[in-house]
Amino acid sequence: MSDPSKPKLFRRILVANRGEIALRVIRTAQEMGIETVAVYSDADRTALHVRRADQAVALGGNKPSESYLDIQKVIDAARRTGCDALHPGYGFLSENEDLAEACKQAGVEFLGPPPHAITVMGDKVEARKCAMQAGVPLVPGLQEDVDAAHLVAAAKQVGYPVMLKAAAGGGGKGIRIVREERQLIEAFELARAEARSSFGDDRVYLEKFVTRPRHVEIQVMADKHGNCVSYGERECSVQRRHQKLVEESPCVALTPELRAAMSKAACDLAKSVGYVGAGTVEFLWSEGRFYFMEMNTRLQVEHPITEMRYGVDLVREQIRVGAGLPVSPVPEPRGHAIEVRVNAEDPDKYFPSLGTVSRINLPGGPGVRLDSAMFRGMEVTPFYDSMLAKLVVHGADREQAIARCLRALRELRIVGVTTSLSVAKRTLESAEFVAGDYDTGILDRIEKRAAPRDRELAMLAAAATRFLLAERAGATVEAAAGKGDQPPRWALLGRTERLRRTMP
Amino acid sequence: MKYFVRLGDEERVIELQRHAGRLTARCGDVVHEVDLALVGDGGAFSLVVDGTSYDVVAEAQREQVVLQMVGERFVLHCEDERERAAHAVAGHKAGGKRELHAAMPGIVIDVRVKVGDAVEEGQTLVVLEAMKMQNPLTAEAAGKVTRVVCKVGEAVAGGAVLLELE
Repeated sequence: MSDPSKPKLFRRILVANRGEIALRVIRTAQEMGIETVAVYSDADRTALHVRRADQAVALGGNKPSESYLDIQKVIDAARRTGCDALHPGYGFLSENEDLAEACKQAGVEFLGPPPHAITVMGDKVEARKCAMQAGVPLVPGLQEDVDAAHLVAAAKQVGYPVMLKAAAGGGGKGIRIVREERQLIEAFELARAEARSSFGDDRVYLEKFVTRPRHVEIQVMADKHGNCVSYGERECSVQRRHQKLVEESPCVALTPELRAAMSKAACDLAKSVGYVGAGTVEFLWSEGRFYFMEMNTRLQVEHPITEMRYGVDLVREQIRVGAGLPVSPVPEPRGHAIEVRVNAEDPDKYFPSLGTVSRINLPGGPGVRLDSAMFRGMEVTPFYDSMLAKLVVHGADREQAIARCLRALRELRIVGVTTSLSVAKRTLESAEFVAGDYDTGILDRIEKRAAPRDRELAMLAAAATRFLLAERAGATVEAAAGKGDQPPRWALLGRTERLRRTMP
Repeated sequence: MKYFVRLGDEERVIELQRHAGRLTARCGDVVHEVDLALVGDGGAFSLVVDGTSYDVVAEAQREQVVLQMVGERFVLHCEDERERAAHAVAGHKAGGKRELHAAMPGIVIDVRVKVGDAVEEGQTLVVLEAMKMQNPLTAEAAGKVTRVVCKVGEAVAGGAVLLELE
């Protein structure tokens, strides 16, 4: 518990989210002696965030639009339970200016930036204008959203390959890369449809697709007194369909000068919109230059690698600056951190995998952190994001961090749903990743199958498993028949096999 | 007992025998010393092959075996000699007919083909929305659409047949 002689920054925080991030916020609040209120949909009645919070309020429904995306229900829950702060997590309403505004009206501190900053940065078109004014370099493209009529001409003008992005987007949804003119219209329609269903806004803009880019982002934290600090970068180039899979910090491609320049650009941009709280400015890095992509006005999924390197708790910092305290001094970073996202998905087909988590083996040992709201018996439903867990490791240097991450990946077992674990493992083992000279296309070049030696071993193990199960089944049959003292299992085997052979 | 184990496009014949409690596995000319032990109430195994130890999680459903070991996940097809013989008899079934399945539960957003359409390999046939992503389902090989089972706006279960092709 926290020191009782110190006044609490807040009495009670409503956590307007689910899954591992809701649990993440609850954990820090508990350490700070602040009560938490969970909200939940019907599907999440037994979810871990509900069980770990001090209070829980049902929002009803299963679809996000009926529950975690319903601002009125969330605000009502905060009011009814006497919350004086609200943490939005990531996804859902975390980058919704209406929620920030509604919190303001209700006298509840929104643990994020003011509504204006969300509005400006949430609109990719506006954000680009803003970055340009703050002197932050941009990728060539059209700052206005495009319509079908002007699309072909616009793409030609910028030059292929081009990227189509949802103006209201985030999290990789509504993004399409187009390499040739004949793919343009279909990609545009898919991007529009995804944008509409994910964000309720189908505006799409277009920009040049930078070759061999790395995705490097800067973590910032701003207070209400005009201070903004940077916690360095995270390298997030290991992506598939713009969904990050492995992140590391620091990025091996950055020089100290470039890191300083990117940090300054990120802080300048944050200050220019009166930013408060945790934010991430995403850049594309290509051939020693960096270009602004977007600012995410929330805590990122991959924030733990920053926490591991700097020895800070970013949620704690969010709560502190939300309460009006100045940002804390930034400690010297040390070592190297890697995060692997474990998604419920079929890695061959890239499709979500649904089912019930029937068995889990968790990794442990030095330098390992697992952020997850997963439990044995948990159902993976189609209603929400497919991420099951984040495996985060810290090592003295990059080599140790990679070795540690691979070791922990071997320990982690999830049964009942298919996961992306094997892809992460092959990525960390790949020569390209180990060398550090990779870009956002790395996943396309990763081995599609396990090493030949491992495949041979698996075939042997499969046969041995069936053999053992047949032996045991045979033993059970004998026992059920009441044969008295059981002979050794190996002795039963011949008899069982003979029996099976004579069966029709 | 002989097992025919398939992983992707590879197949091995592995013969397992227990003599005086010791289990051996013969793969071609190589014989391995194998010790497999069930851990707890099932699902987890400790496998020792020629002295090398592996921690294995296995789910076996009839002839399908799903393994998690060495940081990888394997989906294998494994039949014993008796099953192989039974299949050989029943094996002469109609060929050439294929189905497009929903790889996950979702909502059919678009059906891009109709009965009689010739399709190319890789062509988008149906768009399925799940977890907010629009997933194009493509033809695995060139062919002709013989039946359309799904319609736009319909919620389908994982594995449901959407189209029939030949």
